[in-house]
Amino acid sequence: MAASPLMIEARGVQKWYPNGFHALRGVDLSVSRGEVVVIMGPSGSGKSTFIRTFNALEDFQEGTITIDGIALSNDLRNIDAIRCDTGMVFQQFNLFPHLTVLENLSLAPVVVRKRRRAEVEAQALGLLERVGIAEQAGKYPGQLSGGQQQRVAIARSLCMEPRILLFDEPTSALDPEMVGEVLEVMRALAADGMTMVVVTHEIGFAREVAHRVVLMSEGQIVEAAAPTTFFTNPQHERSRQFLAQIL
Amino acid sequence: MTSSSPPLLPPRPAPPSARRSWRGALRQELFATPLDGVISVLLLAALLAAGVGFWHWAFRQAQWAVIQANTTLFAVGRYPLPQQWRLWLLVALAAVTTGASWGLLRSHPRADRSGTLWPFNDLVAIAVLAFLAAWLPAALKLPVPLQLRWWAITALLLVLRGVAGQWGGLVPRRLLRFLPLFWPALYLFGMVLIAGGLGVPRVPPSEWGGLLLTLLMASFAILLSFPIGIVVALGRRSSLPLLRWSSVLYIEFIRGAPLITLLFLGQNILGYMLPGGWAPDRVWRAAWVLTFFCGAYLAEAVRAGLAAVPVGQLEAARSLGLSMPQALRHVVLPQALQIALPATVGQFISLLQDTTLLSLIGLLELLGTARTVMANPEFLGKNAEVYLTLAVLFWCCCAALGLGSRALELRLNPSHSPT
Repeated sequence: MAASPLMIEARGVQKWYPNGFHALRGVDLSVSRGEVVVIMGPSGSGKSTFIRTFNALEDFQEGTITIDGIALSNDLRNIDAIRCDTGMVFQQFNLFPHLTVLENLSLAPVVVRKRRRAEVEAQALGLLERVGIAEQAGKYPGQLSGGQQQRVAIARSLCMEPRILLFDEPTSALDPEMVGEVLEVMRALAADGMTMVVVTHEIGFAREVAHRVVLMSEGQIVEAAAPTTFFTNPQHERSRQFLAQIL
Repeated sequence: MTSSSPPLLPPRPAPPSARRSWRGALRQELFATPLDGVISVLLLAALLAAGVGFWHWAFRQAQWAVIQANTTLFAVGRYPLPQQWRLWLLVALAAVTTGASWGLLRSHPRADRSGTLWPFNDLVAIAVLAFLAAWLPAALKLPVPLQLRWWAITALLLVLRGVAGQWGGLVPRRLLRFLPLFWPALYLFGMVLIAGGLGVPRVPPSEWGGLLLTLLMASFAILLSFPIGIVVALGRRSSLPLLRWSSVLYIEFIRGAPLITLLFLGQNILGYMLPGGWAPDRVWRAAWVLTFFCGAYLAEAVRAGLAAVPVGQLEAARSLGLSMPQALRHVVLPQALQIALPATVGQFISLLQDTTLLSLIGLLELLGTARTVMANPEFLGKNAEVYLTLAVLFWCCCAALGLGSRALELRLNPSHSPT
């Protein structure tokens, strides 16, 4: 794993919100190609803010972030290039309600990459097949269950052929019986070698799929370890407290 | 699931109390208690009396000659008679475009919409059109050649609706996307026909009048204020302070003054503000004032729509790599404008009615024409007939706008489609 090239390299990232809140306090994280990193932590610990800096949905004031060799700067072209290579799956799905499932998937490839619609739609149908909802292609997001919507959102990210997928609490807004189907898709992606950074509270997923589990608290990384170590033998007092609360 | 768990119950039909007949609903609404019944009877009697009184006035006492003698004046004002063929041509073209669009839309029902409502609605619309064509020109006592023209134009519309509805399916769907472009093209061509130019003799705006002027002013302001409203609404939400503050200034300046003040200002000040000869004609000055007036109100409607689109939509679009203009164009604005549609159409309807203020600055649109007609000694005291006609005309135009917006809302809103 150490020999693989770095896909994400964050060094000393500091972020203050406009109201002065110090959200990220010098965060370092490196993610290699094909690695699955799960970020856990109590709410307000900065984990969502942190992964949202990776595709410039949040800015930061100090430190550096390099995504697949491109430094995140204020240069808009860099940001657009990084966003094309970085897919993001949101807690609230954020599907476009005025477009059908198929149109949701094909919008960005057609508009951004200027690809032919017919070709993109063929690829999109393949992706829908892969996440198990090809038969819903003509429906609108509002007609799908939460689990189906989140799978569409994953397929929509994949349609841009990203090298990195960021997940911001992808199962937190789902009814319990729908969590499984989404995690299933994420497991398959990890097995295919996708580089993934996942903010989640799903311990089962973290245990089975993650290569590394990172615990954040108060805008800092408290502990980063392989899941077996992290869950059975956490090194830090803060980790032990957190695990005691969620296990 | 163990074998001891009880079997799940199958659904059964609702008891009669859950299903209400319309007669039951009526009884509930009008005669629920004795007092309700008394009030209902009194109100119905009053309504009936008013209806009978109106009927008696409209068909016994009212003298509609004032309308019949001035139909041309009400329709087009003092538009020169030898040039009126251009307006007939425009109406005929509009009928052709309407019929063709209507038929084409019906022959290409959207796959994700149910079409069960359309046949009924279309039959009603066709019946109303046919009735109007048969009754209205005769009731207005138009000369027979003019009556024939109206019949011909209505027939043209209905025949094209039939033809396009029957064989429009042969037109490929992707060509259908260009259908909306016909309307602006027709509008521009119509402007040339009305105003002249490109080889047709000019008819200066001072000779336009009546319904023609009202519709021209309203449509001009509606079409141009829409983009203004979108740009200003986006400007007001922009993070660039200069853009934001100038948008706020514009909106608050316009909203802070009554339209009539702005119209008078436009008539008087524009001449000083613009270099000699640049200031537009009186009619166009009023049109621009209306446009910028409506634009400010539209901006607020669109802003409300923009605010109602969750921020996650923009984030999702941006994280897929869409640039800000692309995200606005494909993701945010379609949703925002759909939310803003009812308020927008409400604004358009009040704009249409606000055109009556133009009569106060001396333009002879519908109300202005009506006032000249009522001032004619020959028709003294016929105010009721004239105002009622005006009200019906405005009501028809506003109803058309409202129905159109309702149809658009249904067509745009995916949640109305059956699953």
